[in-house]
Order: sequence, then C-alpha cells, then structure tokens
Amino acid sequence: MGKIWVDGVSKLYADRSGGTLRALDEVNLSIAEGEIVCLVGPSGCGKSTLLNLLAGFDTPSTGRILMDDALLAGAGPDRSVVFQSPSLFPWMTVLENVTFGPRKRGVTRGEYEPESHRMLQAVGLNNFFHHYPYELSGGMRQRVQIARALVNRPQVLLMDEPFASLDFQNRLAMQELLLQLWEQVRSTIFFITHDVEEAIFLGDRVHVMTASPGRIKASIEVPFAKPRAIEVVTTPRFVELKDQVLRLIRDEFARSDRAAAERQAGRAA
Amino acid sequence: MSDAASRAGERRAAVAPLKTHAVSAAPAVPGRWDRLRYPAISVLSVTTLLTLWAVIANVFHTSPMVLPSPQAMAEHLRDLLAEGYAGKPLWYHILASLFRTLTGFFLGIGVAIPIGLWIGYSRTMNAVCMPILGFIRPIPPIAFIPLVILYFGIGEVSKILLIFAASFNFTVLASAAGMRSVPEQLIRAGTNLGLSKRQLFASVMLPAAMPQIFTGIKTSIAVSWAVVVAAELIAAQAGLGFIIEDAGTFFRTPEVLIGVAIIGAIGLLFEIIVTMIEGRVLHWQGKG
Repeated sequence: MGKIWVDGVSKLYADRSGGTLRALDEVNLSIAEGEIVCLVGPSGCGKSTLLNLLAGFDTPSTGRILMDDALLAGAGPDRSVVFQSPSLFPWMTVLENVTFGPRKRGVTRGEYEPESHRMLQAVGLNNFFHHYPYELSGGMRQRVQIARALVNRPQVLLMDEPFASLDFQNRLAMQELLLQLWEQVRSTIFFITHDVEEAIFLGDRVHVMTASPGRIKASIEVPFAKPRAIEVVTTPRFVELKDQVLRLIRDEFARSDRAAAERQAGRAA
Repeated sequence: MSDAASRAGERRAAVAPLKTHAVSAAPAVPGRWDRLRYPAISVLSVTTLLTLWAVIANVFHTSPMVLPSPQAMAEHLRDLLAEGYAGKPLWYHILASLFRTLTGFFLGIGVAIPIGLWIGYSRTMNAVCMPILGFIRPIPPIAFIPLVILYFGIGEVSKILLIFAASFNFTVLASAAGMRSVPEQLIRAGTNLGLSKRQLFASVMLPAAMPQIFTGIKTSIAVSWAVVVAAELIAAQAGLGFIIEDAGTFFRTPEVLIGVAIIGAIGLLFEIIVTMIEGRVLHWQGKG
C-alpha cells in the first residue's frame, strides 16, 4: 500500500496577462511502497504544485496519478500532509489537533485516544497535550503536525518543506526523528525540500526538479542503508552525492537565469 | 544650526540628566510602580478633570443650567433615584433602553452572522448581496427614522427595528470578511483530514472566522446603544434618550448630564463585557 505512479502529469495555470503558465510539464514519477522520496529544486519550480496534486487539493491538467493502481479521488487522510507554514488549528490544544481528524471521521474514542497519545509520545510531546499551538516553539509545532498526520495511519506522508523554517539543531533533530518514525510506520514519504543535504540524508531516492516548466531533471539513488545516523553526512560517498546534486541544481539555475535574461532581452527589443 | 534645532537640542540636554537619574533610581527588576505607572496616570487624569469641574463651578458660581456643580448633580441624582423621572423610576428608564438595545442587537447579530458567513462562503451570494449592503452601510441608521415611523408607528417595533438594522449592518459585513479571510492552509488541513464540507464549515471555517465576527459584534453593540438613544430622542415615553431629550426641553441640565453619564457608563460596560468574552473565546487570536 502506498505505491504512487505519476504518469505524464502537466499542470497549467492562467497567468495575469491571459496566457498560460506551465507549472508542471510531463512529469513522470514512480514511488515504491514504503519508499522515502525527496524532491529538490529551486523555489517556484512546481514542487508544491506536484505535492498539491498528490494530496488531491488540485487536479492535473493532463496525465494521471495512480495510487495502488487506482486514480486519485480528492484529498483524504490516506495521504496526510505536513505543511511548511502554520496549519495547526490555533483554537485547539495539541491533543485536540491530533485527534481532530479521527474524531470527525467517526473513529471511536477507544481507538483514537491511545493512538494519539502514542503518537504524541513518539514525537516527544508527552508533556504538551493541553498546550495551545501558540505556546509551542516552531519545532514543536511541526512535531504536532507530524503526529496529526501519522495518527491517521496514512499510506503516504506528504511533506512540504516541513523543516525549512527551523534552526539548524532543530532541523537535524527533526530529520532523525522522521527516520525513527518511519522505522515504525513504514509509510511512503514524499518529501519536498530545497536543502540538498536533507534530501540525501532522508531519501532513498532524490529527484531534482527544473523550473519553468517544472520537470524532473534527474533521479539519484541514495545507497545508504537505513536506519541511518547523522554521521553519514560526513562520509565521502555522501559528499560525492551532494556534489552531484548541487551541480545539477547549479546548472539548472544558470540555465533558467540565461532563459530569463533572454526573455528580458526579447522584451526590450 | 537653525533656531528651532538649537532649541530642540537644549531641551534634549535639559531632559537627559533627568532621564539618567530616573533610570538609576528605578530598581533593576520591574517593581510595582512600573506596573502601576500608567493606570496611576489615568486615575490622575480623570481626577484632574473632575477637580477642575468642581473648582470652576464653585468658584465662578456658574449657572446650573450651563454647568451645575458636582454637589448639585449629586443632589439631583439622589432625587432621580428616589422619585424617578416623568412618573417612572430611574431603573425603569434604564431597563427600557436596555431592553430595546439588547433585543435589536441580538436579533441583528443572530441574523447577520449566518447571512454574513453565507456571503463570505458563496461568490453568488456575495454578488447578490454586496452591492445592496455596500450601499446601505454608509447610511447612518437614524436616517431611516422617518421611514420607520411612517411604516411602523412610534412604538417599540420601530425602535427595535432601527437597532436591528444598525446591529445587522456591521456584523454581516464583518462575518463575510471573516469567512473570506480563513487561511487556505487551514481549509486544506481540514480537507486532508477527511472532513466533509459541513464539518469543514462548522469546525474549521467558523472558528477561524470568529476573530472578525467578534470585531463586528463589538461595533454592533456600540452602534446599537448609540441608535437607541437617537431613537428615543424622537418618540418615546421612557428610556435614557427620553430623559435627556425631555430634560433638555425644560433646561434641566443636571438631569441631562446624569442621563448622558449613565449612557456613557453602560456603553463602557458593554465594551468591557464583550472584550472579556472575546478574551476568553479568542485567547489564541494574534498569537504565534
């Protein structure tokens, strides 16, 4: 469960001048069950667009997305999202936030309560059940989001730069925590980031995306076995991979810069 | 250096040593005085105004028709409390105004909140209602007094209807704005958790819109209270508006002032109550 196949998906938006903006162009991607896939690329390259399609917040303009051989139909808790920006319900306590989904879906208390407690313990928030989000630090809020997502036992966990706004220490701690949690739940993880090191540390596979139009430029297999410890990031093999990905991104950046300059020149002429 | 600049420089120089002194005298930990400083200044401000009033009235022996002295006011208040006004006890007048205001206010927000939420939720409903509401909004409610009297007479219905309209006006727009400004991210989070449309509306959008709805409610209660007084100025046999209108006609300035003071005090009380409820319900607002 949790196998995803993105088949020739494009997403077009109408831009302000009445033209069309190609946010995603013929994206093909196949994600195996229980795999951790990281997507890196410059901001605005359509990473979040792809995640929104996977989550079911939006539908592809062309192409199709299959999960476990069935077409995606709308958003749902089988594909739980961890957002980058604050998306906890500010009027609910930590525990209320985590139990909210199951409660509304009619799961019995006897079922969701122990599970919520277990999840909150797993993310290290035993003592914060009755705190409100505004009483928590940024890192703790992301922990709540992860618990809120995992309590639904999702087949796929969709994460949209979830640690981007955290400081370095917190980010490391969260990355290690995520890998630990994955050992327990083994759900498929689709993880967006612009941090190359994060992508290689977490991912079984790293996809590099290009901007305008958004395409998958390269896919790199990460050879390190899990469970991984943070020490892996200083190994020569890791550094080599990082160099490879950075080079791809830098080439891409130069290309899009040139393209932008050409467009500018064309406009001027 | 220009003249003005040099003067400003002198002033700064004169203030600077004082400032240093104050800092060195204050304890390193914020003490009681630091917490009480601004409330104390407020108390002083009010006391000064009252004292000024007492001094002017008593020293210059101003006519009670223009500026009655505090002690004269106290006497009139005692009489009002003992004998009432126009054959009815003072509390009757207060309750009459309160009843009209609160009835109109609660009916107003009761209708305005659902309609406002609907307007904020549905673009069609928005297109239907907004031109009309946008046109009505800037019209002062008291401008409708002649029409309301023409249609509904000078009884309670007219007054409550005016207050209803005033109360409705502000809360409906605030509720619509609140609904429109629910963060997309929260809606997505709710959808992602598998909520139905109805659950999403009741459990996510409504609470997220509450801060703005409350802003509307606050304005509505204040405007309702203002409108009741205006409505009672025109045609009423009881009420605080009636007292000040009637007393004014007979140049009974102390009664007018007492009526005004009661209106002010109750208005303030409304605000305090609503703010307290708001603080309780919306403790999360504007944080984190």
